[in-house]
Amino acid sequence: MNATSMPKQPLAVFASFWSHRTLILNLARRDVVGRYSGSMLGLLWSFFNPLLMLGVYTFVFGLVFKTRWNPGGSDNMLEFAVVLFSGLLVFGIFSENINRAPGLMLQNPGFVKRVVFPLEGLPWVVMCSSLFHAAISLVVLAAVMLVVMGSLPATWPLILVVLLPLLLFVIGFSWALAAFGVYLRDLQQTINIATAVMMFMSPIFYPATAVPKEYRWAIDWNPMTFFVEQARQVLVWGHLPDFAGLAGMTVGGFVVAWLGLAFFQHARDGFADVI
Amino acid sequence: MSSELAVRAEGIAKSFRLFSHPRDRLKQIFAGSRRKYYQEFWALNDVSFEVARGETVGIIGRNGSGKSTLLQIVCGTLKPSAGRVETHGRIAAMLELGAGFSPEFSGRENIFLNGYIVGLTQQQIEARYDAICAFADIGEFIEQPIKTYSTGMAVRLAFAVMAHVDADILVIDEALAVGDARFVQKCMRFLREFKERGTLLFVSHDTTAVANLCDRCVWLDGGRLKASGPAKHVCDMYLENLFESVQGASRVAAPAAEPVAALTSAAPPRDQRLDILQASPHRNDVEIFEFHREAASFGKRGARILDVRFEHPHGERLAWAVGGETVVVAIDIEALEPLASPIVGFLVRDRLGQNVFGDNTYLTSQSSPLPLAQGDAASARFEFDLPLLPPGDYSIAVAVADGRQDDHVQHEWIHDALTFRVETSSVRHSLVGLPMRGIRFDRATGASAVTRAPGLADTTR
Repeated sequence: MNATSMPKQPLAVFASFWSHRTLILNLARRDVVGRYSGSMLGLLWSFFNPLLMLGVYTFVFGLVFKTRWNPGGSDNMLEFAVVLFSGLLVFGIFSENINRAPGLMLQNPGFVKRVVFPLEGLPWVVMCSSLFHAAISLVVLAAVMLVVMGSLPATWPLILVVLLPLLLFVIGFSWALAAFGVYLRDLQQTINIATAVMMFMSPIFYPATAVPKEYRWAIDWNPMTFFVEQARQVLVWGHLPDFAGLAGMTVGGFVVAWLGLAFFQHARDGFADVI
Repeated sequence: MSSELAVRAEGIAKSFRLFSHPRDRLKQIFAGSRRKYYQEFWALNDVSFEVARGETVGIIGRNGSGKSTLLQIVCGTLKPSAGRVETHGRIAAMLELGAGFSPEFSGRENIFLNGYIVGLTQQQIEARYDAICAFADIGEFIEQPIKTYSTGMAVRLAFAVMAHVDADILVIDEALAVGDARFVQKCMRFLREFKERGTLLFVSHDTTAVANLCDRCVWLDGGRLKASGPAKHVCDMYLENLFESVQGASRVAAPAAEPVAALTSAAPPRDQRLDILQASPHRNDVEIFEFHREAASFGKRGARILDVRFEHPHGERLAWAVGGETVVVAIDIEALEPLASPIVGFLVRDRLGQNVFGDNTYLTSQSSPLPLAQGDAASARFEFDLPLLPPGDYSIAVAVADGRQDDHVQHEWIHDALTFRVETSSVRHSLVGLPMRGIRFDRATGASAVTRAPGLADTTR
């Protein structure tokens, strides 16, 4: 009955999605479609976007800079683009959710003030929307790899295992940021800068091995480093991921998600007073 | 047993923190309870009340008395600073205009969105979708984004959605004031019907509406519960209080045009003040709109209402009438099947759906019924002195039936066949004004003069 009861049990993290899944999925669909509303190609844009980016990366890094990921590695000019793209894909899930979280409540005053709305579902909406775009990117990546390399590594499906802990971290931070953003409006700007910094402070544009030993801490503090590397292991190199590390991250992510939801539910009582 | 209660509020209080500068809000977060950077405003203070299942309760009070805050707390969109609220059952609320609507979404998407919010499944909403569209009656606009809607359209859609979500508790915050006469009538019909099966919380400063619709009433004043009890009683107390506090103004506003001098009765059954009134700004002007054949109707359809109109006694159609003057309500019907003893009637309703007056042909044609064959047309004419009516929108329901007063077949009943609007009036505080045959107000000839006690001033309303 009481929508704002504190999540006493950890399963509330999943209940927050499951009990409002119809609403969340419909809003997510609206979010995806709405992004291209009014454009002639509509949803096709979410397909062209990653394809064009992949093409541009190939041209700039593979053809112009002649960058190779591993010195002395393959001479395929698409390789760098594929590696870069797979890293950006994973980081994209993170940044889209985190960047939008602080403004989520502020942009939906009607849901906060005028109706009894499952506000804790709004970060899930963004999550679903970002996962949709990630899925399209994965399809594009798979297609390109199939055409260029002739086959996909058998470890491809393991990307799901890599993404699970990431999603838990991301939804947890989204809840916390969404609640903070109501009270601290400067958070939106801060977060945009922070995610930009995190993008360059993770081995997306360069291999982690390229960082001098004494500066490794600069990227090691960043949890995205782990996820980007693991995603590349299964998507590009065909290696098994660090299962122990992933298990640890899943537990950690779950705790973060739980705390994030608890904080959100605690803070939401004051939303309507402030917005 | 708490399940007998729909709403139970205990010691509700709500304070808002008013910060003079946004940075004070931040300072407060770090200062905790050590320092206060804000001023407190108590919108509600220690308000307790209960609403039993199936009850209709009105909440009245002046602007800023905390009515809307209280409703928001009952609905759960605001948290009380102290006290607790329990509600049992599904709540549908109409708190603000277009509440819960996303302006970028189309009407259709918003219907589904609102359905999900109250907990309906997609199938349930789909099953209700057509009924909602029919109720809102906004046509093609249903596919357009809400931001393109007029206020009236948004309210219609909001009310239509709220009316179809199978709520146990309805909360309405004077949203009905918008919308045209026909729609308000539709809403009032719905509310009256809903009263029979659900719990209704109705906020208004229109005491007539509250007294008429509600069983009980809660009166808020300055955030505190001033009184609660039978609606009629509390509304009277509220009005008394209101008049007392604006006494000066009320004296000036009293109809000064009414001469205090004695009016003697004369032979014709005609209000003697009529000549004065008709020449004054208080003239009871009535604007009459066209017959609306497509208005909501029901019946066996064995007969059809062809036309409803106001006429001058000489027969010209009227688009404008004046209260107190003689008018004719003419109703043309056509029999679609043989009718043994048809009855034609009409009923004038005010904006709240209250039946103000009406009549039918039953007694007139009782001894000599007017049987109609299939295809026969007939016309009923009611000639009467139009009563003085308070300003507002009115509608006329028209019906044709076959049988007797207490046992008949309703062939066609059109709810809002004709609407009319009363612009100005000398009548304010009653349903109708009667043509007075005479009013006397003399100085007593005895030793002591009659002085009007201030408290008696209200008896004139």
